[in-house]
Amino acid sequence: GPDVTTQDLKQPSKEHQSNGSFVQSEILLPGPPGTLLERNITLANATTVELSCKLDPDSHLKSPQVTWKRGNETISHTSKTENSWSIKLVIVDSSNMGSYSCVLKGKEEISATFHLHVPKIEAREKPIITYERDTAVMVCKTHSTPMAWTWYMMSGSKPVVINESLRTDKYLIDRLSANVTRLRILKLTKEDAGVYWCEAAFELGKSEGKVKLKVLSIMAPLKPFVAIVAEVIILVTTIILYELYSKRKGK
Amino acid sequence: GERKEGEEPEEAGKSPGAGAAHGAWAWAVVLHFFLVNVLVMGMLKTFGIFFVAFQEDVGGSSEQVSWIGSIMSSLRFLGAPLVAVMCRGLGERPTSLLGAGLVAGGCLVSTQATSVPFLCVSMGLLLGLGFACLYQAAAVMTAKRCRARLGFSNAVARSGMGLTFLMAPFTQLLLDFYGWQGTLLIFGGIMLNLVPSSLLLRPISTRRSSATNRDCASSVTQKGPETPDGCLDGTTHGELHPPGAQELPTAGRLLLSHGKGVSDPINPPALGELEKPSPDRSSPGTATEAKRSNKPLPAAKKETSQPLLDLSPLKDPVFFIFTWSFLFSHLAYFVPFFHLVARARTLGMSSMDGSYLISVAGITEMLSQLLSGWVADQNWTKKYHFHVTYLVLSGITNLLGPLATTFPLLLTYTVAFSVFCGGFMALVLPVLVDLVGVEKLHSYLGFAAFFAGIAAIGGPPLAGWLYDHTRTYACSFLLAGACALVSPLPFCLEPRAQKWRLQRATL
Repeated sequence: GPDVTTQDLKQPSKEHQSNGSFVQSEILLPGPPGTLLERNITLANATTVELSCKLDPDSHLKSPQVTWKRGNETISHTSKTENSWSIKLVIVDSSNMGSYSCVLKGKEEISATFHLHVPKIEAREKPIITYERDTAVMVCKTHSTPMAWTWYMMSGSKPVVINESLRTDKYLIDRLSANVTRLRILKLTKEDAGVYWCEAAFELGKSEGKVKLKVLSIMAPLKPFVAIVAEVIILVTTIILYELYSKRKGK
Repeated sequence: GERKEGEEPEEAGKSPGAGAAHGAWAWAVVLHFFLVNVLVMGMLKTFGIFFVAFQEDVGGSSEQVSWIGSIMSSLRFLGAPLVAVMCRGLGERPTSLLGAGLVAGGCLVSTQATSVPFLCVSMGLLLGLGFACLYQAAAVMTAKRCRARLGFSNAVARSGMGLTFLMAPFTQLLLDFYGWQGTLLIFGGIMLNLVPSSLLLRPISTRRSSATNRDCASSVTQKGPETPDGCLDGTTHGELHPPGAQELPTAGRLLLSHGKGVSDPINPPALGELEKPSPDRSSPGTATEAKRSNKPLPAAKKETSQPLLDLSPLKDPVFFIFTWSFLFSHLAYFVPFFHLVARARTLGMSSMDGSYLISVAGITEMLSQLLSGWVADQNWTKKYHFHVTYLVLSGITNLLGPLATTFPLLLTYTVAFSVFCGGFMALVLPVLVDLVGVEKLHSYLGFAAFFAGIAAIGGPPLAGWLYDHTRTYACSFLLAGACALVSPLPFCLEPRAQKWRLQRATL
């Protein structure tokens, strides 16, 4: 069913795709002072979207002239009710995505913007630290179900798609659930280090997430460990020698 | 009094340097205990940082991973009776070495972990048991070595907990550099440092214990029969009795002062011996010491017939007094710290303010522990009087805690609470030593820790449940206040309990 939203006071809120293929979003103008007149709408599949700018009856704005724009081009098929102006958009592919704004021209010019974009991908921000001959696990998550996931890594400046079937003993890609993908790299070597991208293809566009992989050799933490063990052995030997010495002295 | 002065010059002739050496070894033990506190508490506190890394790499739900931490911290207490048996059987030094080995080994094995159950065993079980071994051995050794200045030494050792705040950023740094496996490897190495420091727990020999008496005789005061001062006991009967009997609890001391030949009735089954006197006696000593070892010692025979698993604490009312107090004071201690930051947050303060409060609390507590330990050592009154006072004051502070709604008020509450908490926490071990004496300390401490562990497991969930039900953190403080006020109640029964024990001992 339709989503009726209320204005977020502090920050632009995210609109998530409802079960149906109809999304409705409204911004109240001029709104409480200090608020950003923006709204983020996340869409994954083809939808009909209705965006409206509603005039606050308590405000001082009277019968302004309202135009809907996308970038520089004006949208003509707007509809107007008593206090609100809206447009209906049919979003079928990525070319329909972007930012749409309504501009009120009265004594002052006020504009409110709706940002339509595909769902973002959540991936680990910190680099993943692994060791040689170990297995690396990289997970990418998103909020809607994409049509396909692709993993690729940057080799030099060219992206190289990770084709699982080419090397089944090295790469394993599986979907932990509809919205989550996992890449496992076995038998890591130093060359596997670098930046990996997971790309989700939605009907309405593509979205990317980035994961950084670091591969350390086993010697790296082993050096401080050996240093500490050496120190411990020195201390133990000193104490034992001192005890033997004092025993002998006591005799 | 007279006997003491008579003995002193005699002992002075025997081992001139031993007094100073003994003082040095006492500080060595305190150093070890300090290190144990730093590393053990540090590991427990930084587990939260590992938590995230484990969840991401090894997998498993939040609940499963938190089991590792729960097992680790609860085994530290629950393993205490078992460790007490080991200490009495093997001695403190081997147990401590074993503990250090378990901890280091657990860390190293965990680097190979691939699943949460594996980690539960390698990190939870091994580390938990290792911590229990280390802690028990260090605590009892400190009690044995620092007879006169136990309060202050205990406080100095406990101040190690205050340094654990450094571990968190250090761990985070290591994690960013080496990943959790490398960090665990390095931690294993750091824990190995407990091996040389465990070697500092030299077993007390008879000769040394008589030197102890000289060392601490200066700070001894004759405050009625209930000050169980091992110094006095030792000087009167240092030659005859094995180390354990020197530190008899309050009841026994009255009978001891009657003469050397009274050793038999003093060693009823209630007394347990901690170390096997023979290895100590065979260590190089003077001819006098050899004479000592040849004297027939009923105590030595009793020691071998004493079962290792000593269940007698469970029949002792003093034990219940202490455990009741220990349990509730632990609850009163942990719950407010748990919720202090959250309370600050709900009152509208930033998390920076919250961390500032925690730092202030930590430092104040450290200083207050040192002061409280020093004051208690002055023997102006019985140690447990101080303990009770701090508990009551801390309870009142906690009950007034919900009134603190602004940052200055909350800061005042934090400072007051830390002062009193530091006060009573520093005195837990000295009070127990006062109540039961040193040679039974292992069993008592073991079982007390076991029951406290049960409380510790239930504490945080209970506090969380309270919050869920009342939707405010004020109730946590009220609960802590109530616990703190409930805990000193059994101490009113202490004189009667001591009389009961005395009667039983003479039977």
